[in-house]
Amino acid sequence: MSLVNNTLLLVYRNFVAAVDKTFLIWMVAFPVVYIFIVGYAYSTLIGDRGISVGSITVTYTSFLTSGVIGFNAMNGSSAVAGGIVWNDKRNGMLQQLLVMQFSKVQYIVGNLITIILVGLISAALIMIIGFPTMYRNVNITLWSLPYIIYALAMGSVFFGSFTIILSTKIKSSEAHSVINNGLFLFFTFVSSAFYPAQGLPTPLAIAFYLNPLTYIVDISRAGIFSQITTFTNIQVLILGAISVAVFVIATRSMVNMKV
Amino acid sequence: MPNIDGEDDYCISVSNLRKKYGKNNPYAVNDITFDVKYGTVFGFLGPNGAGKTTTVKILTTLLKPTSGTVHIFGRQLLKNQSEIKKRIGVVSQNPSFETNLTVEKALDLYGILWRIRDKQIRKNKINEILNTFDLGSIKSVKNDELSIGQRRRVQVAREFIHELDLLFLDEPTVGLDPSARRLLLDYIKSQVKSGLTVFFTTHIMEEAEYLCDQIAIIDKGKIIAFDTPSGLKQKYGKGNKTVELTFNDVPDKLFIDHLRNIVNMRRSYKDATEATSHVGFNGVHTVTIIDDNVEQIISEVLQLVYKNGLQLENISINPPSLEEVFLAVINKNDYSKDSEVSP
Repeated sequence: MSLVNNTLLLVYRNFVAAVDKTFLIWMVAFPVVYIFIVGYAYSTLIGDRGISVGSITVTYTSFLTSGVIGFNAMNGSSAVAGGIVWNDKRNGMLQQLLVMQFSKVQYIVGNLITIILVGLISAALIMIIGFPTMYRNVNITLWSLPYIIYALAMGSVFFGSFTIILSTKIKSSEAHSVINNGLFLFFTFVSSAFYPAQGLPTPLAIAFYLNPLTYIVDISRAGIFSQITTFTNIQVLILGAISVAVFVIATRSMVNMKV
Repeated sequence: MPNIDGEDDYCISVSNLRKKYGKNNPYAVNDITFDVKYGTVFGFLGPNGAGKTTTVKILTTLLKPTSGTVHIFGRQLLKNQSEIKKRIGVVSQNPSFETNLTVEKALDLYGILWRIRDKQIRKNKINEILNTFDLGSIKSVKNDELSIGQRRRVQVAREFIHELDLLFLDEPTVGLDPSARRLLLDYIKSQVKSGLTVFFTTHIMEEAEYLCDQIAIIDKGKIIAFDTPSGLKQKYGKGNKTVELTFNDVPDKLFIDHLRNIVNMRRSYKDATEATSHVGFNGVHTVTIIDDNVEQIISEVLQLVYKNGLQLENISINPPSLEEVFLAVINKNDYSKDSEVSP
């Protein structure tokens, strides 16, 4: 009971300490710019052709919004996880929590729950805000909903854990910022969030499928438009495996953090 | 409160504690044993790298000892961590703060983490802390924007948000100005009177002298002296006193040489290792003489002053400070260690 209470207290603490107004504005404003500016601007270039998703064709704004939902899960979870672990390590709060009634296991589980919740909330926000742009194509069913939740939750675990690993290994703020920005530039733009992977030159297509964001976006998009195929299920397995592996590494990094 | 059923007379009992970081390194803490009584301040002093913080980290469960046992509130630390941790507070050597929160919000969050669920109780406690530690004017400032000293004050203050029986203070006054330092020490003193036990490390000997009931001096992982402050002075100060003579004019070299002769005459009667007599001259107006029997040499010194036609502006006789004792203990330990390894 105390384990559960302590973990929940840490989740609450993470939200209070890491999620402020600036974070929330950034979490909404950034994707909204993508959806409403980039989305409509590119739509004029693409015209009425639409984009294929499984057996259907959707508008570019629908395609983009469904991609930004996954992107925002990545963005939110990595920002909050990196912020918490980086600040706790740098500002001595990890040590302070551990001399209180909290254990490292509780700290790690608390962070995991926070990452998933922030990822899901970030995605849900975009789902609500971007709904007007894709309502004609949305077809979420009881069968496809778990795919969406799974993709966003697992994606949050992957990116949250990945940022935690960076935060525990990197020593200086400058390096932390440069590596984070560099990697997330790759994750964001070498993925199927903004454009389809089909028809790309082979090297670029391979790079797309080396990027977990592609899997998150593909699975959640298949769920949103009810276009689940065998390939979606293979992506589910791959995303699960890499997320668990990265989480295990992140856990080890947190356990080995010097206090 | 202390001394509930099953608890012994000591708040902390440490027995044969050792800690080694890595196989090939020497012991950071090497077979230390001590007890801390309830309702007292225990000073744990030592030079940098002596093993103070490692000991504090073991006592606060951050590190596991290589061997030895620790009992806190009469319970074995390793087996009763969560129960013990509920009753202790820790102010670490390094700063710790929630960057994005204001002082007031951070204190409120800290209260929640200590499971003070009632909002009104938390609010009252926070107001009390803000007043006691003079933090009212910065309550709406974010931790990130505070000065080092202000942050330190918040770090110490927040520990008093929950009921605690034992407080670990690892160099808590680093970065504090003199008035904030005195405010903190006086508050701790008042809390000790109400039953709080304090484990205190510092490099500032005046603080240790002001606050501590008992002092252990640790060097190279071993406790090399342990007593009350006055006991330490008796044992290691060898009863030395410092005479400080301040002249109207700068005394000449000949006078200083004569003075040294008087003191050296006394030295020659003693065993060389026991002799601590010393004449110091700052090159301007002040001469200091350290000796274990200044009363005996003072008449000779005053005669010499008179003979040389010097005018004394001031003369003061002081007992040894804890700092002098600390230096004597550490130097003696270095000397004996050197002797051990010398062929």
